[in-house]
Amino acid sequence: MRRPAPSTVRWGLLVALLVLWELLPGTKLIPELFLPSLSKTLTVLWIDRAEYAHALMVTLYEVAIAMLIACGAGILVGALVGGIAVLRNLMLPVFSSLYAVPIVILYPIFTAWFGIGSESKIAFAGIYGFFPVMLSTAAGIRTIDPQYLLAARSMGATLPQQITRVIIPASIPTVLAGLRLGGALTIIGVVVSEMLTSSAGIGYLVTRYRTILDSPHVFAAILMILLLSILFDLLARAVERRTLVWQTAGRREKAGAAATPAMPAPAPV
Amino acid sequence: MSQVQIVSARLALFAAVLAAWALLPTYGVVDPRLLPPLGDVLSMLARQLGRPQVHEAIGITALEVIVAFIIAVPIGAALGVLAAENDYFGQIFKPMLFYVFSVPKSIFLPMFILVFGIGFPQKVAYAAFSTVFIVIMSATAAVESVKQDHVLVARSCGATRGQILLRIYVPSMMPVLLETLRISMIFNFTGVMIAEMYASRTGIGHLIANWGENFQMPELFSGVILLAAVAIAFNEAVRLLEGRVSKWRT
Amino acid sequence: MTAIEVDRLSHVYAGAEGGVPALQDISLKVEAGKFVVIVGPSGCGKTSLLMMLAGLRHQSQGTILCDGRPIADPDPSRVGVVFQEASLFPWLTALDNTEFPLALRGGPREERRRRAEQMLNLVGLEGFGARYPHELSGGMKQRVSIARGLVQDPPVLLMDEPFAALDEQTRMTMGHELLRIWSQTRKTVVFITHSLTEAVYLADEVLVMSPRPGRIIDRVPIPLPRPRTYEMMATDTFGQLRERIWQQIRKTE
Repeated sequence: MRRPAPSTVRWGLLVALLVLWELLPGTKLIPELFLPSLSKTLTVLWIDRAEYAHALMVTLYEVAIAMLIACGAGILVGALVGGIAVLRNLMLPVFSSLYAVPIVILYPIFTAWFGIGSESKIAFAGIYGFFPVMLSTAAGIRTIDPQYLLAARSMGATLPQQITRVIIPASIPTVLAGLRLGGALTIIGVVVSEMLTSSAGIGYLVTRYRTILDSPHVFAAILMILLLSILFDLLARAVERRTLVWQTAGRREKAGAAATPAMPAPAPV
Repeated sequence: MSQVQIVSARLALFAAVLAAWALLPTYGVVDPRLLPPLGDVLSMLARQLGRPQVHEAIGITALEVIVAFIIAVPIGAALGVLAAENDYFGQIFKPMLFYVFSVPKSIFLPMFILVFGIGFPQKVAYAAFSTVFIVIMSATAAVESVKQDHVLVARSCGATRGQILLRIYVPSMMPVLLETLRISMIFNFTGVMIAEMYASRTGIGHLIANWGENFQMPELFSGVILLAAVAIAFNEAVRLLEGRVSKWRT
Repeated sequence: MTAIEVDRLSHVYAGAEGGVPALQDISLKVEAGKFVVIVGPSGCGKTSLLMMLAGLRHQSQGTILCDGRPIADPDPSRVGVVFQEASLFPWLTALDNTEFPLALRGGPREERRRRAEQMLNLVGLEGFGARYPHELSGGMKQRVSIARGLVQDPPVLLMDEPFAALDEQTRMTMGHELLRIWSQTRKTVVFITHSLTEAVYLADEVLVMSPRPGRIIDRVPIPLPRPRTYEMMATDTFGQLRERIWQQIRKTE
């Protein structure tokens, strides 16, 4: 019997998971409290869709602003740190050491400073997303094949021209990957902070319904967050694929290995 | 810039940050209620470190971190090695792993609470859950980093499978393994912190969250500094070890 | 005395639709102490043939005898192998790398060390034992690789394009060095290369292989006197021999 293709197996597993989600809860194996059935979760989501939609709006708003900050600042600082050798040698190891600290412990500081409204979430998630974008932009700038710059200079390109016509296009792939990661982390940062201390947003709903042990509502919120992250990831990857054509160009082989410590691992959250 | 200049520059930067922290709140440039002066924070830290309640919290957190690590690493390593060695298994699961990382694992925290209640097992289970995926990914990368050329050479020298494992795989993977350890611990520690801050009655994370809620800023900052220091210390220690073992790595 | 005897060896790689024939009906005999070079276009199967001679791969059909006994598995006491990429283990010193096959067998440490040092001296790396591969040049790494292949004193040494990754000058020096080592140790050498100049310079006999499925289409004896010198490369005889081989290869394109 020929083995089915891996992607078929993956889809099969997904379908099986959904089926189990529908059938197992309520049986002896899994009490409804731990995991309500899929249909129940969806029903509840539909019934209270106004509440969930409103919460989603709040969350999306926070995510959008935080992403603007994280990505904007991340690219700017990353370009500076990556491009200027002095800054790079000075700061990069510092940042990579700071990565070891769970940023979530800073969140109570933000709630104390900004209150439990959207500001603290945006500040926190902004920082959360900032680091990967900054580090990957720095890495991207560093690993541009020096041959390209050499060729450009030999053709008489001025510094601004080198920046706009060589450095920026060549670093776009890495920057995009960083944006994807930063965006995902921003979503994660918003969700975590909403879960911890908040008055609105999807994460807040999770916590609120958990404390009254209303599993269906909890899982409805969890499902929404799952869909949000996956949708964002798919979108970001689609954008990246558009630029895939020359993505492998302009990178030094060895720098790939060296860039890995500079690019942080995915979210610890 | 020479190494000495770089290190001095960093130290100078660090000193400047500390100085700002000490002076700005003291002179009212920044509201000292929001950002207590460095001196206050440090003396508060010293005081907290003397309290038995804090000792207990540190002990609980440390235990959670260790137990979760001991659970996550072997399981993750086994699965990771399997994904690397068994092509079919790897092809099925590797793409899924990437999606896993874009999803906030903290959303599953309520699930753990619903199943385990609030307490030690719940926090450990959640932390192990949030760590296992990075261990899997790193273990796979570690096994795949072993060059097949080296395996071929070893075979041509007449090495048995066991000898290949011990003399080729282990030394080859050592640097990556240490890096895995370091990064997994970061994930692990973060997982424990989130669990403690979210719903817990014990542990340093809980203390910090509490202090935050009650606007006890000096206490809060002292806790944050303590945790940051421990995290960084561990990270750098393992990094040093990594450096020793990876001298031969290009 | 025959060191290597290959009888009607064929090999088919498994694949869709019956598989891919890689080698077809290869028979050859190599006298002990001879230096034989195999040349052929890319993909003709010369590396596969070498792998089988080394016991690293099993042929579909036919037999391989070394010293009268069949080759089933890698046996560095009978057949030493030197690969294209030196493939030294980067976490071991040059000495440890050379000693590696002996360490696999066990045995007294002192004995192994001494033997490995002897080999390093033989290849001209006396005193470099404590260096790590990343501290060695390409040529030096290949020397260590050769030392490792010779450390168990096998009667046969197989070499798969060992100098291909080196620049031309180093290549010529290494070729010369190899001949010196060979004349001192009197091993039987089977050497694969893409370079026809290298082939004529080194060999007692050159075997020419056809493109896939590989067959031996010509055996060219090289009657040049030994020890070989660089000056010989400029002679007419050298040019004619190389031309003959080149024509054989061209015919198959």
